[in-house]
Amino acid sequence: MNAEVELRTVSKAYGDAYAVDRVSLEVARGELVALLGPSGCGKTTTLRMVAGFVEPTGGAILLRGQDVTRVPPHRRDTGMVFQSYALFPHLTVAENIAFGLKRRGVARTEIRSRVATMIGLMRLSGLEQRLPRQLSGGQQQRVAVGRALVINPAVILLDEPFSNLDAQLRESTREELRRLQQELRLTAMFVTHDQAEAMAIADRIAVMNKGRIEQIDTPAAVYHHPRTRFVAGFIGRANIFDAEVIARDPAGVAARGPAGITFVLPQGDHPGRIAVVLRPEAIRLAAGTDAHGPNTVAGVVDVVAFYGATAQLGVKLADGSRLLVEGSGDLPQRFAPGSAVVASWAASALVASAA
Amino acid sequence: MTITSLRHPFGIFLWLMVALVMVYILAPLAVIVASSFGTTGYVAFPPQGFTLRWYEQALANPRYVNGFLTSLRIAAIVTVVSSAIGIAAAYALVRYEFPGSRLIESLFISPLVLPGLVLAVALTIFFSRNPIATGTDRLILAHLTICVPCVLRVVIPVLQRFDRSIEEAAQNLGASPVKAFFLVTLPVIRPGIFAAAALAFVMSFDEVEMSVFLASPREQPLTVALYSAVQLAFDPTLAAVSSILIMITFAIMVVHQVVSRIRSAR
Repeated sequence: MNAEVELRTVSKAYGDAYAVDRVSLEVARGELVALLGPSGCGKTTTLRMVAGFVEPTGGAILLRGQDVTRVPPHRRDTGMVFQSYALFPHLTVAENIAFGLKRRGVARTEIRSRVATMIGLMRLSGLEQRLPRQLSGGQQQRVAVGRALVINPAVILLDEPFSNLDAQLRESTREELRRLQQELRLTAMFVTHDQAEAMAIADRIAVMNKGRIEQIDTPAAVYHHPRTRFVAGFIGRANIFDAEVIARDPAGVAARGPAGITFVLPQGDHPGRIAVVLRPEAIRLAAGTDAHGPNTVAGVVDVVAFYGATAQLGVKLADGSRLLVEGSGDLPQRFAPGSAVVASWAASALVASAA
Repeated sequence: MTITSLRHPFGIFLWLMVALVMVYILAPLAVIVASSFGTTGYVAFPPQGFTLRWYEQALANPRYVNGFLTSLRIAAIVTVVSSAIGIAAAYALVRYEFPGSRLIESLFISPLVLPGLVLAVALTIFFSRNPIATGTDRLILAHLTICVPCVLRVVIPVLQRFDRSIEEAAQNLGASPVKAFFLVTLPVIRPGIFAAAALAFVMSFDEVEMSVFLASPREQPLTVALYSAVQLAFDPTLAAVSSILIMITFAIMVVHQVVSRIRSAR
């Protein structure tokens, strides 16, 4: 067993309401796992249970194989980066970083050298004697990360660490944290509601909804093979259709969807009612009005959005629903609003998830 | 042009109001200080002549000197005890939601809205029936009933504004809850605690009603000494004692300002 963090059917109930419902999860050494979900899905509660600030009502939490479910926060080996950074406002940068080492009774000379190393690593040189309020948001964020890293915890816990930074800084800080995490082989858990952020830096993503993990997989697997309708809708953009399986044979599964679409999916063990997921970038468009055969549908372009390198089109279908299509930047020139188009896609682009 | 500018009609009105309020607050103090230097045997304004005789008499009078020291001692004890109780109670009320915490909070505040005289009479009767304390200790207990609520009033909002995750960060880094409180929470809310302690000190130091009723005759606080002197004759010695208090307060304020300037310039 080499999991640094292990959650075994961990639950947190407030009265009858479950904030976290039987969550099981393992984080391997050097792995970064993102807990992703909308607000109120239980991701922060899960993280706070690992840190020890929230006591689970069921299940067990293990750090490096040891059960810490009932261990108070200050005796757990975790390093947390808070959303508000929670720097100690009365202590300097150096004193903030030294705080955890002092509590652990590390020798004074060693504290000095480890703090100095961390200040270099976090690019805070020259700011050692500043107070937190004298730092920029990005610098404060780096102090918060440095303060958590310097104690070499079993796991780094990051609670929306980039949400207080502006968009540009957020991206560069994210890349820097990922590089640091990989260089130092840090084990980390990362809470975010931003799916792009999770996709960009996580080794695996646990998509949470209503207190449960809906799917835990690599970013590519979560994107290409969403197991539930919720995951498909939350990760990236998706066209999701309710469909009914009408035929199965060795070549594939046929399902009837809305607007007269017949989907043919690769063979799979699908129940009678499914949700068919079709990513916008997998759709090809051609001018015309006749849609023949499976995996095609006719419609009229009604919304065009141009993003430079890419563009998105909305295609209105016969039943009034809209198909989202994404393609290269020349799409708007080829298909003006009002033009009749036929959309088609490959069977391999379709994913069936639980309805 | 902003509304507070002197070129704005409303701005002129605002500045006029500020000036009037300042005069209203400071003029009585100025009258007292000025008349303490007068040569007449009664308090006169504007003062005639200049003498330090009344200061000499005030400092030579053991009633005033001992009263000052007694008041200082009582206020110091009351400040320390009411701060300790008030901070602990405020922390419990803010951090732990328990049934009745709201009720307890309002009960804690209630002595502040009672007239001092009512409390003084009530406590006099209480202590004569229940001799749990004697002498100056009774007055200290009496002052606690108004100073603890006062500390609570100041510290509760300070704790409510305090970002709790700072405390959690300290625990996450290995500080026990008690250590986190003393290493992080207390230093961060220190300005609020100083304000609360200062308020408690002043409240105890210049409290009259309970002191008159409950003070030990052998250890009279300054307010009682002044009060009984006023009943006999309002001679300039009283003005001198008051002036000394005003000057001490003024000196403390100046020192505080200078120190905080130096600190923030660091």
